[in-house]
Amino acid sequence: MDSISFLLSGFETALTLHNLLYCLIGVTIGMLVGVLPGLGPSAGTAVLIPLTYAMEPISAIVMLSGIYYGAMYGGTITSVLINTPGEASSVITCLDGHPMAKQGRAGTALGISAIGSFIGGTFAIVGLVLVGPPLANMALKFGPPEFFALMLLGMTMVIGLIGKSVLKGSIAAVIGLILALVGQEPVTGIPRFSFGQPYLMEGFDFVVIAMGLFGLSEILSSAEQTLKAEKPPKVKGLLPSRGEWNPSLKSIGRGTVLGFLIGLIPGTNSVIPPILSYSMEKRVAKDPSRFGKGAIEGVAGPETANNSFCGGALIPLFTLGIPSSPTIAILLGAFIMHGLTPGPTLFKDNPDFVWGVIASMFIGNLLLLIMNLPLAGVWAKITLVPFKLLFPIILMVLIAGTYTINNSLWDVGTMLVFGLIGYVFKKVDIPIAPIVLTFVLGSMMENALMQSLTIFQGDFMALFTRPLSGTLLVISIVIIFVSVFAGFRNKKELFAGDIDM
Amino acid sequence: MKNLNVWVGIFLLLFAGLIFYFALSYDYYSNIGPGPGLFPIWLSGLLLILSIMYIVSAFKKDEIRFSEVFPKGAQRNKILRILGSILLFILISPYAGFTLSGTVVLCILFIGEMKWYTAVGTSVVTTVVVFLIFNTFLGVPLPMNAFGW
Repeated sequence: MDSISFLLSGFETALTLHNLLYCLIGVTIGMLVGVLPGLGPSAGTAVLIPLTYAMEPISAIVMLSGIYYGAMYGGTITSVLINTPGEASSVITCLDGHPMAKQGRAGTALGISAIGSFIGGTFAIVGLVLVGPPLANMALKFGPPEFFALMLLGMTMVIGLIGKSVLKGSIAAVIGLILALVGQEPVTGIPRFSFGQPYLMEGFDFVVIAMGLFGLSEILSSAEQTLKAEKPPKVKGLLPSRGEWNPSLKSIGRGTVLGFLIGLIPGTNSVIPPILSYSMEKRVAKDPSRFGKGAIEGVAGPETANNSFCGGALIPLFTLGIPSSPTIAILLGAFIMHGLTPGPTLFKDNPDFVWGVIASMFIGNLLLLIMNLPLAGVWAKITLVPFKLLFPIILMVLIAGTYTINNSLWDVGTMLVFGLIGYVFKKVDIPIAPIVLTFVLGSMMENALMQSLTIFQGDFMALFTRPLSGTLLVISIVIIFVSVFAGFRNKKELFAGDIDM
Repeated sequence: MKNLNVWVGIFLLLFAGLIFYFALSYDYYSNIGPGPGLFPIWLSGLLLILSIMYIVSAFKKDEIRFSEVFPKGAQRNKILRILGSILLFILISPYAGFTLSGTVVLCILFIGEMKWYTAVGTSVVTTVVVFLIFNTFLGVPLPMNAFGW
């Protein structure tokens, strides 16, 4: 029951005036990011990291994670009202949410989404509270071989799940690892691949790479599309009818469990849970033909699943220090920037921080519920802001933000180069997410491998002799094998594309 | 050579080759254990193999033509304008300062989309707001000109 008392003191931290304010700012920006097509949560989070420089670590992470889960709420609004998902995890909501809007029930669709999101989001955080500390405790016993195997497993999952081809996913993952090599070598400290350039001696800055690959490349891709602002319909009547409560709540329950479990698996993204939840709802429904024509379960289930996914996805980050999705990888970058080491020691060494952030997520979800239920109509109006007005402003924040990381125009140039690389990679379907994920893991992974090899006197195969690391390595190999050879490819079309969340 | 995929493959191959070449100059194994060259050699070697596979598949089945994926006309100009304006910012901001170069960047992006005076007005206001947020409110330095803005 330690968790409860820690959580209560977490609320003490989260409820201070300035942390409440940052939480509010975070979830509001998250809503904006969600509502505005052409800017996803990972880009949004990356662009705003520099703003948190001067903040305390708690406030910074409270705000950045607010952007992350806030975006899940916001994306729904445009899916329902104008049939354009604000971010990728709300694509599925278009299927039944928009037909509901056409029948004049936009309010109900948004209402049940907000309620579902709140329930899913809150339960997932409860899950984090319950599962987090024991898992972290267990992970404290891990040695370098276990961590290396765990990171490798995470990487293979990413390669197996993201993108259309295993080859392209692997290329992206290896590029990320290679980029992480630049700079001082972790053991001996000798500078590698820096070519005498002082800028390269310290290695690439994670935030700069994320800003380029996610921020700039997303601006470029969006700028070439003509996004038209469509007038959203009026929102009224937010609650479902009496007969709909029962099926909706059941869908919400299923969505919560599903999303949370998927969140625990590294390499997944927030697009997968809504898709699976939708097909599950369709399967358990008495009359599946209603789906696609405005079935409330088709909105409630998926919208819940993507929110509970968010909470679940934080567990590997908080307990193992391993990011399971790109936005989480950016959060991990922010942790490191603020001098925190994500992983099993976090709960022990920085309890104030962890519990403060967790408590803030309960508060943030409540704030989002309030923002979404009575204020849904207000957010809908934001979709009318034309992208051509918006993107230069985002670009300005991007440039200024990149500069401030090290006060250097070199970083702005690096961001430009990575933005261009990301843009071209998107054109040839090389997924960007694995680059960022493996870049964050790169030096940790090398460190773990070097230490393991030192322990085993250079014998790589000895990694297989430890029960846990051996099992994890075998699973990794199986995953690669399966994704290359089996008919997994066809199923993957479902999750396809480079979803950057 | 209109297949973009082949060019991406060649770029990857050259990149991997370069890293591999330099990785050879670091110790693979030292007397205290695995050396700084071990991880780079394996990784760049892996990327070499993967990029060759990539080029092969680009020729065989995965042809992506430049003309299919890159925009033309006004759309292309927009992309070039964005890239050009960032480059311009890098070149002029050490002398012109953030506010002036920022305004120029935004003008490049806004003009043509709206009336010129609206474009200039929006650019100035946006830049000043960003400047105030970063410089005054958050206290982080931005590029300055001789006059301190």
